[in-house]
Amino acid sequence: MMPETNAATWGIAALATFGVIARPWNLPEFIWAVAGAALLVLLNLLPWPDALAAAGKGIDVYFFLIGMMLLAEVARKERLFDWLAAQAVRHSGGSAKQLFLIVYVVGTIVTVLLSNDATAVVLTPAVAADLAAVAFMLGGLYGVLLGAFWQSVIMPHRQWHNLIYGTVMIGSWRTAALAGMEGLAFIALGLWLVPRTLGRHRPVAALAGRVPGLTWICALAAGRAAAARRPRSTRSMLVKVLRGRLHELGWGVLLLPVALVGLPLYLRPAPAGAVVLIAAAVAQLLPAIAARILPLALAALGFYGIEIAMSWFASDYGGQFLYRMYGTAYLDSRWQAALAGAEGLAFLGFAFWLAPRTLGGNGQLAALAGRIQRLAQTRDDAVDVAAAELRRVERDLHDGAQARLVAVGMSLRAAERLIHSNPTAARALVAEARVTSSRALTDLRDLVRGIYPPVLADRGLGDAVQALALDTPIRTDVDVDLPGRPARPVESAVYFAVAEALANAVKHAGARLVQIRMVHSGGMLRAEVTDDGAGGADPAAGTGLLGIERRLGTFDGILAVSSPPGGPTIVVIEVPCELSSPRTYSC
Amino acid sequence: MRVVVAEDLFLLREGLVRLLEAHGFEIAAAVGSAPALLDALLEQRPDVAIIDVRLPPSFTDDGLRAALEARRRRPGLPVLVLSQYVEQLYARELLADQAGAVGYLLKDRVFSDDQFVDAIRAVASGGTAMDPEVIRKLLARRSRDEPMARLTGREREVLELMAEGRSNSAIAQRLFITEKSVSKHSTSIFAKLDLAPSDDDNRRVLAVLAYLNS
Repeated sequence: MMPETNAATWGIAALATFGVIARPWNLPEFIWAVAGAALLVLLNLLPWPDALAAAGKGIDVYFFLIGMMLLAEVARKERLFDWLAAQAVRHSGGSAKQLFLIVYVVGTIVTVLLSNDATAVVLTPAVAADLAAVAFMLGGLYGVLLGAFWQSVIMPHRQWHNLIYGTVMIGSWRTAALAGMEGLAFIALGLWLVPRTLGRHRPVAALAGRVPGLTWICALAAGRAAAARRPRSTRSMLVKVLRGRLHELGWGVLLLPVALVGLPLYLRPAPAGAVVLIAAAVAQLLPAIAARILPLALAALGFYGIEIAMSWFASDYGGQFLYRMYGTAYLDSRWQAALAGAEGLAFLGFAFWLAPRTLGGNGQLAALAGRIQRLAQTRDDAVDVAAAELRRVERDLHDGAQARLVAVGMSLRAAERLIHSNPTAARALVAEARVTSSRALTDLRDLVRGIYPPVLADRGLGDAVQALALDTPIRTDVDVDLPGRPARPVESAVYFAVAEALANAVKHAGARLVQIRMVHSGGMLRAEVTDDGAGGADPAAGTGLLGIERRLGTFDGILAVSSPPGGPTIVVIEVPCELSSPRTYSC
Repeated sequence: MRVVVAEDLFLLREGLVRLLEAHGFEIAAAVGSAPALLDALLEQRPDVAIIDVRLPPSFTDDGLRAALEARRRRPGLPVLVLSQYVEQLYARELLADQAGAVGYLLKDRVFSDDQFVDAIRAVASGGTAMDPEVIRKLLARRSRDEPMARLTGREREVLELMAEGRSNSAIAQRLFITEKSVSKHSTSIFAKLDLAPSDDDNRRVLAVLAYLNS
């Protein structure tokens, strides 16, 4: 081949690859890939028989990928990945590192048991399925990358390099060791990088920019997120993730689907027996989880069986795929291939019959379980908050108004004794008693304000926040659009949340201007407090915002803080609630 | 001077009535709810009304609403609103019509009956009586702004007392200075805040309050 045609070939290939990664003009990946291929053929840079042969060569992989994608799509529709991501976030124990480690292990196991493609295909819908999967995605991206490298350590015959670079074979223990060291270096880099990126309030885009070539995954996730209305629980989860407050991560839960799909494929010759055994074992332990996984495992087996059959009938090249999967297994005859295909269809039929009957119901079950857990948690919080509030009221009364009333009583008693012998002194004591009683009233007033501000009772949230702004020593603009009043407890929780945010802006941020915006739309009350102060506020550091967050949690509300160093600080409060119609009172 | 008193707590209402009678006021009506108050205000046409913010039927700010409504129908009707707490928001609403003859005080101010009675008379004669608490918060909010920062310490004190609605002689008495130097200070304050000078005391106070509230 001439050098210039060579250069043209590479140029077109590079452009097509770039198009797939960057997706200019929002054109989908396949258009770029197909256009590149078509251009090569049209310009006669690639003879069309060669192109067809090349396409035919990959037919086994296509079937495999289609199968995996269908599998992933079923799982996505049944919200399995949502559920997994939710579990992962909930169980991560507040540690981004732990989340990463677990997702990494999953990535590795999927890679080892299935293939790199499988990892990508299984994890990508998890990423794209929902914004909630952002946590999963960030860890998953590293997991896929590092898992792929790690496998070159433990399974040198199945190399990542092989898929990427063509035919770079590891020929010796030395190259294997080198690949292993490379893998270890990447793991170290990942472990160092993840807590520094995943756990902070960095925009997802910035993070994506640091992972070359994976921007499109983030864009896809973000685009879908923008296009679709998110369920509230998911939003609150995202907020938590962005705030770096990732919760406990369930090891077993994440490994189960992998084990159930992967192990039977790996443990030939009795995949059906293995999956039934494992599914039965798991079913005894965790019926809900098993019911989610079993149809998927069956579907996987089904696709796999069909794929075996197809690869036999399609071309001899299928053998190589089997080799990759099983080591040295070949099908001996067309009968065997037909049997595998029939078996696959049976599995698939059963899986499709089973899936809607189990997944949906268990989706509700899992949602209910999650809801119960959340309610139990927020109820505990509410009880704690109420108890702490009562303790505070008791302490304030004891040290304030009560003590002053005792002093008033003592002054009056002393005045009573002196009233004839020393009227001047008695008069002074009475005056003192009056001053002290005034102070007692002031104490009581402050206390009442802290429990339930009268203006809130009088006028509702909008005016109460206006009043708050008027009492603030810096300029505070208020923009309220509330056509009615939320339930009183919600009103009170939101009021104190805004008051706390405002107080922080004045006390800590050194702000000159604060903007408060409150709207109600789509069953959600949203309050935003923005200040132009120094920023760098850490909600985890102070107890104020944490208490507020717990209080809001009782109403399924959330509080999110974005406060980059240098500002601005934005505090967002969201509480799902309905508004009652405005009071129509006239004198 | 004929007074309407609106307070739902019996003990406080009787206490107020006794205190007012002791100071020679004539009680035109003593009521315990907002609708009764509105009727009394419109029918009795008192020289001044003393109104608790919180009244039945809804036990929120019904008293204030009734006062505002009565003033909407009879502009300049003198009202002195009492409350267990003061809100700048309410002060603003009372002052909004710029008609004067309004007062807004914490209930404990009743303890100093002389000052309380002074406040009632000031409101009845078209002046204002704002609680020091309201004025303190207003000043705190504006204190960093130009041109407020240009006021001297003494001018600030005068401004504070003036905003509360006190007369020049009361300010002079309070600060132990002559009335002449009070009017000198107030001229200087008006110049610094770029407010149009006025000979009428009440107009002057309203201008100051409007400035602080802006």
